[in-house]
Amino acid sequence: MKIDTAIAMRSQMQTDGVIMAYNGEISDELMITLAEILKRRVGDGADPKRSRTVFAVFMEGVQNLIWHSVGSVRPAGMVIISEVESEVTVMCANRIPRTSAASLKQTLEQLALADKDTIRQLYREGMSRTVEYEGPGAGLGLLEIARRSKQPISFAFVDVSEEEVDYFIAARI
Amino acid sequence: MNDLIIESTDRTPAIRFIHQTLRLEIEGESYPEDVAAFYGQVIPTIEQWQRSDVTSLEVSINLIYINSSSMKALYRIFDVLDHGRASGKQVRVQWSYVEDDDVMQELGEDFRDRFPELAVDVKVTD
Repeated sequence: MKIDTAIAMRSQMQTDGVIMAYNGEISDELMITLAEILKRRVGDGADPKRSRTVFAVFMEGVQNLIWHSVGSVRPAGMVIISEVESEVTVMCANRIPRTSAASLKQTLEQLALADKDTIRQLYREGMSRTVEYEGPGAGLGLLEIARRSKQPISFAFVDVSEEEVDYFIAARI
Repeated sequence: MNDLIIESTDRTPAIRFIHQTLRLEIEGESYPEDVAAFYGQVIPTIEQWQRSDVTSLEVSINLIYINSSSMKALYRIFDVLDHGRASGKQVRVQWSYVEDDDVMQELGEDFRDRFPELAVDVKVTD
């Protein structure tokens, strides 16, 4: 990368109130390290409730990313946390197979339109579907993010190739 | 049967199953790296209780944060407790949450509504 690009990036990050930005391979260990830093950085002490919410959304977002990312040997993706006028945005992105994008998009559209009661109802239904306790949370992670997000979640899909798509999700707290 | 005593860590709750007092306690945070391995040491003990001729259990759950993959394990625990109740055991569940934590409060209510006959008592931590 050229230094001019870095200057522009830094300036952009400052404008957008970026607290933390990461792009690359993500392990469980790295997730925990970043989560601990984030816990201290956002509202800890002054607003423990917000700190817990940001922590939970971050954890669910990154766990989803670790479970579902494709395209490299190890899970990889992007995580950006920003704060503007005391509203925190947690954004995650990763590459997924095109075959799973359609149903994911449908779920996200449903969640973005749903009110809190509907999301809670979906969560309750999701709980009962998860009798086996191995493997990922069977969609509960997305519901958890939607449930804790103050504003409706936003998302985007970007074509990468015939087989793969980049998927972005953002929650505001 | 042996007691089950698991100390808490940053990312796993303390879990105690004490046979003499017939108490099960779950306390702390739950986002283990390997959910199946962690809860795999707990669920068999509760299943053993369910099949035994012990007639009751007091359950106390006090979680700060639980991730969605641990939720499945917790649901499984409630399921086993409810089976115990259905086979004639007396089960009482107390779900405590930190004041102002709507998410953990709602989760307790969700369990209470999903397992109405377990009589889950949802209340703020003392």
